[in-house]
Amino acid sequence: MTAISRSAGSHPAPVVEPDDWVARLSTPGPGRDAALRELHGLLLRAARYQVSRMKALVSTLGAERIDEIVNQSADEAMVALLGKLSTFEGRSRFTTWAYKFAVLHAAVEVRRHAWVGREIPLEQSAEPWSSGPTPAEYSEAAALSAAITTAIDTALTTHQRQIVIAILIDDVPIDILAERLGSSRNALYKTLHDARDALRAQLIATGHLPPAQSTGWSR
Amino acid sequence: MTEQRHHLTPDVIRRLTVDPHPWLSCDDCFRLVDQYVELALDEGALAGEQMPAMRAHLAGCAACREEAQTLLALAAADRGLAAHELEDAERAFSS
Repeated sequence: MTAISRSAGSHPAPVVEPDDWVARLSTPGPGRDAALRELHGLLLRAARYQVSRMKALVSTLGAERIDEIVNQSADEAMVALLGKLSTFEGRSRFTTWAYKFAVLHAAVEVRRHAWVGREIPLEQSAEPWSSGPTPAEYSEAAALSAAITTAIDTALTTHQRQIVIAILIDDVPIDILAERLGSSRNALYKTLHDARDALRAQLIATGHLPPAQSTGWSR
Repeated sequence: MTEQRHHLTPDVIRRLTVDPHPWLSCDDCFRLVDQYVELALDEGALAGEQMPAMRAHLAGCAACREEAQTLLALAAADRGLAAHELEDAERAFSS
């Protein structure tokens, strides 16, 4: 990553390529300071873009508060990224790798704001779909909907049922639910994974899903 | 939060029954998402065949998908691509 120049006498001096972010960020000196400023600018741009994509969730906030969220997210992303700098393997552009830290922190912060003060009751049952564009579609959808309701009631554990209903039916963001439950995004996703396996197995057994079905419904 | 309960609409049914395999955690999705996004920009939907666990995870995790789609747009902008040029890449994000 860091080339060595022997052009300056007998003492080799490190030469950091302009696009070698890892070297620029790792080599002490004014070049590192400039790289840090440049990186922070990239993270601010990514955080601002993520917040703008979620603007419906921050519609009640003023521009000043939104700026705070953007700056806080970029700052947190900067710390997280620098802590992981040694793990960058060059499998993507450095900028793409960097953006993801800002995107994650901004998205989590916006979701957190959107759910402040909102209760998340953990439900035990879902409600079947009650309308359809045509009678035939209604009939087919109602049958599948009823089978899924039964599967939720009978194939899942209480914990799986609560997590599935909150995240997949009531649209509670997975990171918000993890915070409220003192859990983690990973742990809740594993719960969803196992619950989907259980639901699919029952629906396949009852003939409501074909065994080879790999993707469920199209959007 | 739920004055309005969500019912089992077709989209909810898709979320409930989407095949979650191959397994990939949210942490591993974060670790790989930059690579996947650039692969999607290069290969379109074929990215999902090359990294099936990423495709499955993004189909099943709304939060990771939302963040990956933002990353896709940022990486595409760096390549000078316009939004309408992302159709192929976005196929790697649908189930």
